[in-house]
Amino acid sequence: MMDELELLKQDWQKKDGAHPKLTYDEIYKMIKKKSSSIVKWIFYISIMEFVFWAVLNLLSYSKESLELEKTWHIYEITTFLTIINYLVLIYFIYKFYNNYKRISYTESSRNLMKTILKVKRTVTQYVWFNIAIFVAYLMVSLYGNLNYGINSEKIMEAASRAGNETLFWIMLLGMIVLCIGIVLALIWLFYKLLYGILLNRLRKNYSELRRLEV
Amino acid sequence: MNKELEHKFVTELEDNQNIVHKVCSLYTSNRDAHNDLFQEITIQLWRAYPKFRGESKFSTWMYRVALNTAITLYRKSKRRIKTQDYDSVIFKIKSDDYDPTQEQQLQLMYKAVRQLGDIDKALVFLYLEDKDYKEISETLGISEVNARVKMNRIKTKLRTILNP
Repeated sequence: MMDELELLKQDWQKKDGAHPKLTYDEIYKMIKKKSSSIVKWIFYISIMEFVFWAVLNLLSYSKESLELEKTWHIYEITTFLTIINYLVLIYFIYKFYNNYKRISYTESSRNLMKTILKVKRTVTQYVWFNIAIFVAYLMVSLYGNLNYGINSEKIMEAASRAGNETLFWIMLLGMIVLCIGIVLALIWLFYKLLYGILLNRLRKNYSELRRLEV
Repeated sequence: MNKELEHKFVTELEDNQNIVHKVCSLYTSNRDAHNDLFQEITIQLWRAYPKFRGESKFSTWMYRVALNTAITLYRKSKRRIKTQDYDSVIFKIKSDDYDPTQEQQLQLMYKAVRQLGDIDKALVFLYLEDKDYKEISETLGISEVNARVKMNRIKTKLRTILNP
């Protein structure tokens, strides 16, 4: 039996000239157009994330908040957090830049996919770091507010009025944890959808190539 | 300088555009998507061009960038208008020695190839282009042995699609 693929090959080569032919000008116009590749989208999304968290950071920073931090006795710890935040931010900017420079379209397919998935991993790390520092800020301010805030006495009163003080605190803590949990789940879902759609096919292709290694 | 580079690139691509068209015809199923992918590949080629030092032939370099774009970078266009099955246009060109039975068989083969996954398609494409296993393995980033193994599996897969 003749190999069907061999037959196909002969036909394929015979039909070499059967494809449309673009003119010089048509091709020239194309190189001026914008790419719509996955890499570009990942890049845009990561820039958007960068801006989003940076803006959030700037918005929450003001003279009043500084004063508040001092009266809440959390000034030192928030300053410490801010320094860490910026150090890590610089590290990520460096990493982002490095990753994008490394993406080369002339690499073998497997290496190219690997690099892109690595870029995605950096973005994920960046997001998780931001969430972590966000939660840390939240906890510290909550602690400051409860202990030194203007409403702290009222809350304490409510606690003792409730009769069972321990139960009151456990419930309050539970509610806070629940709220943070819901926010985190939403953020997680959002990224899962965003990158899931973008990278699903890529991940499948990459694992197919990787399976061959064994 | 830039104009010169542009001119050189466009001329070379114009001469070798068949390669890109062939990749597009395997990875897309209608005219719009074909043009979309062609454009994306052109953009990626142009972007990578300054780094092309001529260590390999322009065409060899094109295979890699074109396939990488089709497999890795290209987001399939959402608008899937099922107006006309594209392969019937591109592959139905009759050759001199027209043999209806054989033509029909070939059509079925092309259809089967289109049902394969992205990576399998890339292998078949390079095979149809008469590339040796060394080039296939280098393009995809797997070993030569693995390329052979994979190709054999694809042949079996195609046979099952054709004779269910």
